[in-house]
Amino acid sequence: MSRARGSGWVMGERTEVVTSSEDEVFDIELEADILKANRELALENHSKLKENGITSIDVMGSVGSGKTSLIKAIVSLLKATHRIAVIEGDVTTTIDADIIASEGVPTVQVNTGKECHLDANLIKKALARIQLSELDLIFIENVGNLICPAEFPLGSDKRLVVISVTEGPYMVVKHPMMFYEANSVAINKVDLAAAMGVNPAKLKDDISKVNPKAKVVMTDCRNMVGISEVIHSLGLT
Amino acid sequence: MHELSLASTLVDTLLEYAPKNPDGKVLEVHLRVGKLRAISIEQLKFSYQVLAKDRFLKGSKLIIEETPAKTRCPKCGLKQDFAVADDSYHFTLPTLSCPKCRSPVELQGGDEVVITKVRIRSPKK
Repeated sequence: MSRARGSGWVMGERTEVVTSSEDEVFDIELEADILKANRELALENHSKLKENGITSIDVMGSVGSGKTSLIKAIVSLLKATHRIAVIEGDVTTTIDADIIASEGVPTVQVNTGKECHLDANLIKKALARIQLSELDLIFIENVGNLICPAEFPLGSDKRLVVISVTEGPYMVVKHPMMFYEANSVAINKVDLAAAMGVNPAKLKDDISKVNPKAKVVMTDCRNMVGISEVIHSLGLT
Repeated sequence: MHELSLASTLVDTLLEYAPKNPDGKVLEVHLRVGKLRAISIEQLKFSYQVLAKDRFLKGSKLIIEETPAKTRCPKCGLKQDFAVADDSYHFTLPTLSCPKCRSPVELQGGDEVVITKVRIRSPKK
């Protein structure tokens, strides 16, 4: 605790006195974690999912990388053996949820309105709308964005990042943060690699440098290439 | 990219201290921000000034200390600052590979956003 003290000095012919402002200045020392609220909600979501024996995967990547196509492809292969639901995050529209719903699994569209990422609170609300006791597996498709979603844990078990060759050769080196906590990374649209002049092996190499633990799979979702490998990389078989 | 929402949480947290200091004014807010967070310090400071309109916070200064991330290799035990791989692109690439033994390393810290100190001026009773 400290107190401001008065001082005086001579200015020209008269003495100007600066008196102590009768105020107290004090410090409050604390460790207030600003991100705690989201993290606690994420833990809450995680326990709720675990109580129901559900495995959950957060799917992240840029707009147009193929997140929805990959989830649809995975669901088509797993729906016979797993009870699956999909939470679709987007700024607006139900386009993605409708695409997934065509696979005949329950979907919930979460529209963030303006926000560039999903957060644990939105997922908590979405989970309240799903019959958790009747599920084994939930995919959460995050808003298309390679920056913000990495900052907000949702409470999922694993993170799958989807990038595509059509995004150019520098996706990984420009956005390394997205890959720090990725369990699996799909390099999608490899059928277009030659046309794009992008070397998928170089992308894979970049990912392995940033995060050597991440499992990297080459995919072409439209032709169902690499889908089983993604499923395997997530430990779902 | 979400500095405004972060600043909003910061302001809400600080306002919890207002009732205990009814005539007080916040002079300084000290924040510790991990370098791994995708947070622009300049945007965070700007957002804070925009949102800190309440009498309790108006005019207060946000002072930010950035903390580095460390890595620890579970295999060879090497501890060091989060490394940047040397590459052929002429730009830097952070890496979670151990520079000594090439094993995957674990990240430690660098992901926090914590208010460490609030300096308040209060009229003497």
